[in-house]
Amino acid sequence: MKIIFKIWRQDSPAEEGMLKTYEVDDLTEDMSILEALDHLNELLVLRDEKVIAFEYDCREGICGQCGIFINGRAHGPHDQITTCQLHLRSFNDGDTVVIEPWRAASFPVLKDLIVDRSAFDRIIESGAYISSKTGSAPEANAILIAKEVSDTAMDAAACIGCGACVATCKNSSAALFTSAKINHLNSLPQGESEAHKRVIEMTSQMEAEGFGSCTFTGACEVECPESISIVNIAEMNARIIKAKIFG
Amino acid sequence: MAINQHFFRKTIIAGSGLFLCVFLVVHLSANLILVLPAAIARGLYNSYSTVLRESLFIQIIAYLLYASILLHVIYALLITLKNRKAKPQKYALNHYKQNSTWTSQNMGFLGTMILLFIVVHLANFWARIKLGLGAPVGLDAAGYQDVYEITNSLFHNIYFVCFYTLMAIPLGFHLHHGFKSAFKTLGFYHKKGLRIIANVALWYALIIGIGFGIIPFIVYFK
Repeated sequence: MKIIFKIWRQDSPAEEGMLKTYEVDDLTEDMSILEALDHLNELLVLRDEKVIAFEYDCREGICGQCGIFINGRAHGPHDQITTCQLHLRSFNDGDTVVIEPWRAASFPVLKDLIVDRSAFDRIIESGAYISSKTGSAPEANAILIAKEVSDTAMDAAACIGCGACVATCKNSSAALFTSAKINHLNSLPQGESEAHKRVIEMTSQMEAEGFGSCTFTGACEVECPESISIVNIAEMNARIIKAKIFG
Repeated sequence: MAINQHFFRKTIIAGSGLFLCVFLVVHLSANLILVLPAAIARGLYNSYSTVLRESLFIQIIAYLLYASILLHVIYALLITLKNRKAKPQKYALNHYKQNSTWTSQNMGFLGTMILLFIVVHLANFWARIKLGLGAPVGLDAAGYQDVYEITNSLFHNIYFVCFYTLMAIPLGFHLHHGFKSAFKTLGFYHKKGLRIIANVALWYALIIGIGFGIIPFIVYFK
């Protein structure tokens, strides 16, 4: 199988980048897109060229490391998957595949396809935790939680922080990520005592990082590998109002 | 407590937008008088517009209306500028139509079209009737200002008829996204409720868009 890759090459944050074309033969349709990039990098090593920098870790769709923009979509042409779950069988022999890094002022390109997503870490640091004593696990039934509440919390907690929501959003809004992290903790009794402080601190940090505001295009929930719903953003807005009144 | 600028600005846009949505219902209802036979329509329309001008309550609402339009436009502009800064570099290839509607991606463009329409619309009616600019407004048999005549003559000019009808299209699309989005911005997060609102938004946008778009044609061929 042959693919014509057009891949963003950029040596450092300060330098200008550009799309470079690579024709790669002898690929198979069972390869994941990351394996195809590995294969291309091996060819580049043999040709004594600089390899393409890209991120990955688990390669099984749970770590959130491998986010890239493939053929005009975050994580490629399918809805709700990660980049590592995309295989070459999704393309035809001889197709051109354009690969770019996430685009957002808050996610500066470090090298080639790698962006700096530490803005997400700082949002987490600003409030996505519970200030309680650590130690051995408490007795499981000490705090009773209704099934639907735990389901809501788990749905939000599923966010792997890949950044596809920011990447696909025309405003580079981090509202889906931030709302998922807020709703995860704020809907549980363990997170309740710091609920108001958490929502204000985290949304303030989100703004300080320079992300845009949500205009509900809904693109993020389509690209999110964990199917986080944009209803989370509406819930976050309700929590902001609650925090402003009662916080 | 920190000020959430994003949230504050979006709340202003959503709140003013919903107020304008209510206004459009009232406006369209009044415009329906125009499709009645001329003999009835003239008297009704002129007395209705006189009541509006002279009522203190409506005068207050009118200022709220001006404020809503201004706030909606100014804050939308501020948010758009900030959002552009958040995404300085665009993708070489972006198939955004596969994950979102064209309307939701182009609210600024649609809004600009509507603003252009409002400027022309205000120049045609508000400037002449309220500010007394241009040709003086005549009186009808009952002694009311003949606003019906202004409307009627305007909608017998095919260029204006086409302009008013064409401009109802961006209005309909803008309302479809804006109406349902406003509720989410204001923190309404009931899933089933949001599905109902999405349906209401579609019908609302269709009725308002087609309603405002078709009335000039009916008047033209009357």
